[in-house]
Amino acid sequence: MTRILTEHFDTEPELHEIDVYRRLGGYAGLSKALGMSRAEVVAEVVKSNLRGLGGAGFPTGGKWQTVPGEDKVPGPRYVVANADESEPGCFKDRVLITRAPHQLLEGVLIAAHAIGAKETFIFIRGEYQNQYDVLARAIAQADAAGFTAHASIALMRGAGAYISGLDTALLETMEGKKAWPRQPPPFPTVSGLMGRPTVVNNVETLSMLPSIMVKGGEWFAKIGSPKNGGTVVFSVSGHVEQPGIYEVPMGSKLRDVLTLAGGVRGGRKLKCVIPGGTSMPPLLEKDLDIALDFDAIRAAGTFLGAGGMIVLDETADAVEVAHNIERFLAHESCGQCTPCREGSFWSEEILERMLEGKGEGEDVRNLARIGENITGKVICALGDTVGMVTRAYISKFPEDFNKRVATDGS
Amino acid sequence: MKTKAPVRSPFTPEQEKELLSWTTKYPYKNMGLIEALRCVQAWQRQVSEPAAAYVAELFDLPLNHVWGVATFFPTFTQWKTGKHRVGLCHGLSCSLAGSSRMEACLSKTLGVPEKTATSDGTFSWETMECLGACEQGPALQVNDRLQGRATQALIEELARDLK
Amino acid sequence: MGHRVKFKLNGRELEAPEGQLVIDAAKEAGVEIPHYCYHPALGNPGNCRMCLVEVAGAPKPQASCRTSVRPGMEVKSDSDAAKRAQASALELHLVNHPLDCPVCDQAGECGLQDYYMKIGRYQSQVREDKQHKEKRIAAGPHVMLDQERCILCTRCTRFVDNVTQTHELGIFQRGHAERIELAPGMILDNAYSGNVVDICPVGALTDRDFRYKVRVWYLDHTDSVCPGCERGCNISVHTNTQRTWHNDGKRVARLKPRHNHEVNGYWMCDEGRYGIADLDADRLGKVLSLKPQKTEMSWEAMASELAGRLQSAGPGLAVVASGMLSNEDWAAYKALFVDALKVGKHFFSPEPDQVGEGDSLLRRKIKTANLRGAEALGLRSGSFSELETMLESGRIKALYVIERDLYRIYGDKAPSLLSKAEATVLQGPNKGPLGDHYTYRLPATAYVEEEGHFTNFEGKVQAYRKALEPIGESRPDWAIFTLLLKALETRPKAVLA
Repeated sequence: MTRILTEHFDTEPELHEIDVYRRLGGYAGLSKALGMSRAEVVAEVVKSNLRGLGGAGFPTGGKWQTVPGEDKVPGPRYVVANADESEPGCFKDRVLITRAPHQLLEGVLIAAHAIGAKETFIFIRGEYQNQYDVLARAIAQADAAGFTAHASIALMRGAGAYISGLDTALLETMEGKKAWPRQPPPFPTVSGLMGRPTVVNNVETLSMLPSIMVKGGEWFAKIGSPKNGGTVVFSVSGHVEQPGIYEVPMGSKLRDVLTLAGGVRGGRKLKCVIPGGTSMPPLLEKDLDIALDFDAIRAAGTFLGAGGMIVLDETADAVEVAHNIERFLAHESCGQCTPCREGSFWSEEILERMLEGKGEGEDVRNLARIGENITGKVICALGDTVGMVTRAYISKFPEDFNKRVATDGS
Repeated sequence: MKTKAPVRSPFTPEQEKELLSWTTKYPYKNMGLIEALRCVQAWQRQVSEPAAAYVAELFDLPLNHVWGVATFFPTFTQWKTGKHRVGLCHGLSCSLAGSSRMEACLSKTLGVPEKTATSDGTFSWETMECLGACEQGPALQVNDRLQGRATQALIEELARDLK
Repeated sequence: MGHRVKFKLNGRELEAPEGQLVIDAAKEAGVEIPHYCYHPALGNPGNCRMCLVEVAGAPKPQASCRTSVRPGMEVKSDSDAAKRAQASALELHLVNHPLDCPVCDQAGECGLQDYYMKIGRYQSQVREDKQHKEKRIAAGPHVMLDQERCILCTRCTRFVDNVTQTHELGIFQRGHAERIELAPGMILDNAYSGNVVDICPVGALTDRDFRYKVRVWYLDHTDSVCPGCERGCNISVHTNTQRTWHNDGKRVARLKPRHNHEVNGYWMCDEGRYGIADLDADRLGKVLSLKPQKTEMSWEAMASELAGRLQSAGPGLAVVASGMLSNEDWAAYKALFVDALKVGKHFFSPEPDQVGEGDSLLRRKIKTANLRGAEALGLRSGSFSELETMLESGRIKALYVIERDLYRIYGDKAPSLLSKAEATVLQGPNKGPLGDHYTYRLPATAYVEEEGHFTNFEGKVQAYRKALEPIGESRPDWAIFTLLLKALETRPKAVLA
């Protein structure tokens, strides 16, 4: 099975050292890119069909193309690596940074050249202090080797808050404000960090760039499925035998990833698989042959997200799961807009009451109705998720919910 | 016009110097605010009103802005954490792996409820949202460093060794 | 924003400047789209989600305060989908709302009540305990804060951050734990604090002096102009004459600013708003002569007697007035004192008692509404130290004081100064601390009891309307001057000795 990012993970324990990374061909992509024009680099990434691997799945080359040229908008522009991985179920960025920090740095530097940025930032969640140290060391190594001559890399730590992983909220945090998402337009590529054109890309997305430069966009596009180039790294956890990260070509079957992770623990029956992080609706046993890419998975009513795959076996209860997720969303809601702020907490409270055995007949209908009232009517995707999650679990596991409410007439 | 009384500094001269350095570390002054407040939290184990007032003055920002940031992000507390701030993840995967049992274990071993420092100030523990270690749940961290899978043994070891 | 483009709103073909916010374009077309957080002077954060409209081609409802008019756009604010979206936002605003209506001053002018009646009318599905926050916080000398009622629209924080730039309020904490609070160590005491009560769509921020006084639906509104300084902020006088046993019997319940793009925008200052204090206190209502003893007179009798005394005072007549007089008052003043009585000395300078703090927002240093009115007629004022000298020297035979409290100029010296003149007249609405030291007391109407015009410091002439009936025998100043002028004209000419 083709692996791009994790190709050497099993055989090279010192991949985080710059000389090891270079021995394996590291920084050759950057050299090649620096010899190309900016437009050529962007074109290669467009050709690659690389999609944003932090959750949104937006074509990376397409995003870069919306950065205004320096002739139109002179002055600083920035690249920000989003290392604020906080979606429950996702830990692939943590592993990628720990094992292959230079792969990320190289990607950041390639992106900097592509959009003409002289300064770049890696915004990393505060809870990844070990990874911060790894990156600081790697940056010092890259500086010493002269790779940051065209663009500097600065680190910045977050202070918790899941919402600061959303691109516009991340920019707000970087500007020293509360992580309240913005409402584009304008989009960050036009007006981002301090009003300057800014490309915000996920760690995994940026890490793909070196190989795209070396082997070409066409090569990358051929791996994977139509319009979804390359590979994708899944963080697999929950009721599986071997939790961990698994890199597979885009379009691989869900069944195959499950097999790589050793299957459901103890050979138990599968209840459902959350494919992209807890914000995404779950898939059932019947969906195991679904192709895992950004587009095909939509047909099953869910999203690839950031590939945080959580496997749940028959011992899991949908109401407990829904409660856990809504509690998370209510806790992490930034509070800026009313429907999310009020609706997430209301949903959590109803689910909690149901778990305490005090569920009432209207609760299930209300949860679904509240969900419908929130999704699509809020400022950002977190709010959309609040409504999507409850409705997904209610519709897929009605028995779990119905047994928690008092039956009519008793 | 209101004249503001000069803000008294709750920091040592070295700490003041480090805070000042964050006003120039990044291309725009305000970008250093979060890191500066992280320093405050690390030194004083909380971000209190006098500390926020000092930082606001330093960054030339109104206090309501800085206090808004200080009360928004979970890293900053308005209660004094222990010297070793223990975090236990209760995200979905960690929950499935038994985080609630480990909550009880922490409470018993450290002898304090959630978000309350021990009387000698050494420890405090709290549940946290997904720490990005779902494959080793229930994940446990101390002062933003992942320690691994929370077990009774690990918790007891930490309680012993970190004292 | 440039040329005008065509778009459709609720099926109607309309025109608007390209790029104008849909919510504004709708308003101009007479369509009110529900909203809380949007305010033309405070921006469009789009956080309340009430202004959701259907836009053809868009997959989900759009916030009309965050959407600009584009050519050919088709917007529906009253379709079932739009109304459902608006109602869903409303329901979520009400989930933790304490429903204090029976004890909340906002009742009758509350954004939640209004929209519930328009697009809500559903049965609440909330079975949980509502979230509790702090109530009855005295945020400042004029403003009360109730965190439970707050819908976190951020209008107030935007006001103190962007308009007054005093930063007293903030939203602290995250998510459903959020609350509006005073910034640590601060109180809401800027010079414009009362405006946050106007802009708060709900009863979270209320006037302390209006608290529990009278229900708003009993109030009449009259367009007026604030007389507090020479800016002439446009205001609305809210009067209670229906429930006279409420509001401690006071007829004026409160003042609110009226929007005027050229004068005061949407705001007024606290001095003007709360300065009206008790309009009905210490009022003159009877026409009185006080020496040798207190005698009630009719206007005609008074006019006849006073005209004679003023005429015989000759060059010994000095007049004190103030910029509180309207243009109508000044015109009649000139006809009487300048043209007829040939008074040489006028004293209406705002120094020292009618000047105060000014700022770059609205407040002007001169604390009267219509000094311009006098200047426009070519009147010039002497200084009050000059008047003091003249009084001390005994040169003043008659002193006519209109709408001025000499105690605030001369302090404890005032009674003795007044006694230096043979005859003194106090004309105005209030008795003041010196009321008993005058020879004559003529009751005048307060500005809310008359019609008139003030000219502000930029030369703008603004009308104020009558909100209340005069008290007792009081008449507008210009009517009194005209009466005296008539009495003068019917007298035989003075015989020069």
